[in-house]
Amino acid sequence: MSKSGSITAAGQNLWAKVPKANSELFALTYGSLITELIRDYDQNIPEINNQLDRIGYSIGVRCIDELFAKSEVNGVQIPSCRELRETAEVVAKIGFRMFLGVSCDVGKLTEKSFSLYLSENPLSIFVELPQNEVGVDGSSSHGPDWTQLKYSNVYCGVIRGALEQVNLKVECEFVGDMLQGDDVNEIKVEVKEVIADGAGEDYQEE
Amino acid sequence: MNSASPSGSPPKRSALLGTPTNVSEPAYEYLLSSILTWVENECHRQYQQLKNKKNLQENKENEKHTDVKDQSKGASKQDESMTQEKAEELVMIAENAAAKMERMGYDVGYRLSERLAQNKPMSSNTSGGKKATPAMIQLEAVKFICKEFWSEVFRKQVDKLQTNHRGVFVLKDLQFQWLKRLPADVEMARIMAIKILAFPCGLIRGALSNLGINTVVSCDFLADGKNMSACSFNIKVKSTT
Repeated sequence: MSKSGSITAAGQNLWAKVPKANSELFALTYGSLITELIRDYDQNIPEINNQLDRIGYSIGVRCIDELFAKSEVNGVQIPSCRELRETAEVVAKIGFRMFLGVSCDVGKLTEKSFSLYLSENPLSIFVELPQNEVGVDGSSSHGPDWTQLKYSNVYCGVIRGALEQVNLKVECEFVGDMLQGDDVNEIKVEVKEVIADGAGEDYQEE
Repeated sequence: MNSASPSGSPPKRSALLGTPTNVSEPAYEYLLSSILTWVENECHRQYQQLKNKKNLQENKENEKHTDVKDQSKGASKQDESMTQEKAEELVMIAENAAAKMERMGYDVGYRLSERLAQNKPMSSNTSGGKKATPAMIQLEAVKFICKEFWSEVFRKQVDKLQTNHRGVFVLKDLQFQWLKRLPADVEMARIMAIKILAFPCGLIRGALSNLGINTVVSCDFLADGKNMSACSFNIKVKSTT
């Protein structure tokens, strides 16, 4: 079996074993979070995106723990990642599959970055974004600019949080959003730094 | 790709919509607990903002009316009231956070109940041509919560339902999904559990409200010392529409 095939199989395997929760409940709960954010931040859209990213970060930190713990318990081998391509595959085929049960594809791979394509997004199953308000004279009015809203920005935080735990500092951006009329959801992940491992020289064993 | 239903059985609601029925439980739990943390921080921040505004106003007034000496005399007095104020502050923040979680639960419950009740006929309306009394309708609605709603949300049914037939219902769940992993007999766990429970209280209130029943929902622990996850939800009907 090819390496990418075994990664896909590992993802399927873990998804089969993990306990499930209702995806409508999931989507609605996330929706209520967005509602609260919009209420609290007075429709300041960039700040809402920012908050979502921060919430995602704390989720991601726990996700990667869960991923490694569960794969160990269930005897599923996660191949070690030597190149970015493998890391991307693991995030897409194991991470997204195990936690959300959706398929996710990798594309636009370069040395320092890759894109994740999500054709199904469990967060947005009931969602339709409002149109921007238009003033009487046709000019854009004072209402919030909904095209700025990255509804599923929590993913970016999750990926950032998870990869930081394995020494990869990344920046994520939600560049394509089906809610905004794009063909596919695209998350762009860019590696900024590989964090040096270990606790420094002071702690080395004699 | 979706978990397709085996041929012969009717297709599932979600299969019709073309979305996967499930996400993983950890994904949902992490989301919920992150929301909880966020709500707390948010309430803290809002309270602080409010206080800063107030302080600013007070300071301005103080500058106008008193000179600096008076203020230094009052300093020790201020210290005493500080600690008390601090405690009150924390209670305020916790209450705000609980209210916010409850409100979010209400939102979710209201919508989810709409989805689940869509294809379900009211059986008491049709039973034997008799007109259903409000009490019967209430009981049926609560049973719907105990069975369908509960099993969609928590993958199990409510263990025990009690009622006085006058608008009070008690739902007992001896192993409440979201509290299963909290240790028993630890004060911190208890505090955490109370925070978490605001959400399902809202869920129930929202779900019943969608069915035309206005209620107040509160919760209790059944066996604090031994098992944190045994809890009861007390529903009191206010009015039906």
